[in-house]
Amino acid sequence: METLIEILEDIQPDADYETCTTLIDDHILGSLQIISLVAEIEDEFDISIPTVEIKPENFNSAAALWAMIQRLQDED
Amino acid sequence: MKFTSYISIAYLAIFLPAVILLYTILPKKVRPFVLLAASFTFFWFISEWLICYILISIVSIYLIALWLNKLKDKRNALVKEAENKEQKKAIKKKSGRNQLLVLLLGVLINIGILAVIKYSPFFFVNVNLFLKLIHSSARVSVPAFAAPIGLSFYSLQAVSYIHDVYKEKIKADKNIGRVALFMSFFPVIMEGPICRYADTAEKLWSGERLHYRNVTFGAQRIAFGILKKIVIADRLNIIVTTIFKDHEAFNYDGGLILLGAILYTIELYTEFSGTIDVVIGSGEMFGVTIPENFRQPFFAKSISEFWQRWHITLGTWFRDYIFYPVTMSKPMKKMTKNCRKKLGRDYGPLPASIIAFFCVWLCNGLWHGAGWEYIFFGMYHFALISLGSLILPLSNKLLAKLHIDRHKLPYKIFTILRTALLVCIGEMIFNSRGLHDALGMLKTLFTRFTFKSIFDGSVLSLGLDGHDIIILCVTLAIVLTVGILKERGKDPRELIASTPIFVRWPIYMLLVVYTVVFGAYGAGYIPIDPIYANF
Repeated sequence: METLIEILEDIQPDADYETCTTLIDDHILGSLQIISLVAEIEDEFDISIPTVEIKPENFNSAAALWAMIQRLQDED
Repeated sequence: MKFTSYISIAYLAIFLPAVILLYTILPKKVRPFVLLAASFTFFWFISEWLICYILISIVSIYLIALWLNKLKDKRNALVKEAENKEQKKAIKKKSGRNQLLVLLLGVLINIGILAVIKYSPFFFVNVNLFLKLIHSSARVSVPAFAAPIGLSFYSLQAVSYIHDVYKEKIKADKNIGRVALFMSFFPVIMEGPICRYADTAEKLWSGERLHYRNVTFGAQRIAFGILKKIVIADRLNIIVTTIFKDHEAFNYDGGLILLGAILYTIELYTEFSGTIDVVIGSGEMFGVTIPENFRQPFFAKSISEFWQRWHITLGTWFRDYIFYPVTMSKPMKKMTKNCRKKLGRDYGPLPASIIAFFCVWLCNGLWHGAGWEYIFFGMYHFALISLGSLILPLSNKLLAKLHIDRHKLPYKIFTILRTALLVCIGEMIFNSRGLHDALGMLKTLFTRFTFKSIFDGSVLSLGLDGHDIIILCVTLAIVLTVGILKERGKDPRELIASTPIFVRWPIYMLLVVYTVVFGAYGAGYIPIDPIYANF
């Protein structure tokens, strides 16, 4: 989770990733940031994020992102 | 009976009430078939024998989806029996390849029909132009096809269904009736919105009984849509047609061209969103939530935000089926990683995005029509959005240096007006009579700009008198008030419904009387044909 927060802060520093649950809804992460985020997460956690996973529910908070990463790691 | 628009006596006074009546009196099990029969009947009325195209689409996606399901079941069974991870990977890879081929076959059938009917004449006309350019005497014959109304809408729905099955977002439906109703539901078949199977199919097939609230709320939405279309859009049609048709012959100045662009944008918005109100209201009557296609677009503060508020279902279709698949493809992800190392956080994801934006906007332009002016319209937005992404980090720094807060009202108003102006110029290109005409109007706009013809009264000779202008201003104020309420998260229909009966019924009556009295029909007016129905 710490690594994920570091990636998020590197991509978009202006947010409190511990508490924010509206990263997509409040346009904190736009499509450009999502593109970077997916590339970095895939590299760091050795997973492949299919496009169907790119939905607000999975990207609205660091916790949701972390849950998606763990699920994809298990599925692999 | 021939339908040319949802806002017509034939649809509103005969077809829709007849379907509601049949739906109400027949038992629950039969109701989905009532909607299906009504949808096919409606399609027959608007496109006659061209109904065969949508039937081909329905059968093709139904079979393709079942085929995909079969491949997935087979893969799952083999994976279960596999002895190790390598074997599992190999099975998944092989099955993935086969599934992709099946998906591509489905896309080829549906987009192929669209391409042949809509784009092959444009392609062959340009082949002939090229042959002429290289002084060749050879010519190819240009085919002409009759296109069924709504082809561009239901083709995208068809692709979304098989793609979502391929991606395992949804299961393939074994009920061909449900697939057929999802594809052909009569309120959405002419002008969208582009629905997703997961959002509407189940509800459409449920045969739920009609509820008083749904019917009355649906009727109110329909009434508001009619108001927008016949009081505003049809009234603006004369002046807009005059300016766009005669600007060259009468040498109109840039001020008049800009006025034409602004009025056309209002006309397009009120016509299209008015029709969508009728569509969504019709669905609401049957308890079906049709996705919203507009969310106060003229409150957008940037072009990309505008496209998240205007024709939303087309934008999300391009986002989900073109933008993300392109940017998330393996080579693009690799490119993004490399670029982030070299260009940094802000510019790293830009190259992949710009390539994806290009694909999206080329398709968006072509979706609207087979013509160079539509490609130009797409490229105009591609340039604006790419430029916006490129200068965003710089403008952020500049605003910080100048101590301008982008969240403060004056800056917000500035960005809203700037976006609206750029949108109007885009719509001017969209409504031009070709690329040459569009470039001519742009040239006039920038080289001969003056407000002379607006202030010397000659604008009043273009088809609108003082009486029309007052009605337009009052009605636009009503539409704007509704927009502001919605933007603030309030539903005007809920607000009216919460008032006592002696308040809300006069409001409903006033809306109807206002539309009947001030609607632009009869002598002196030419109602617009549904603009989006022919795309």
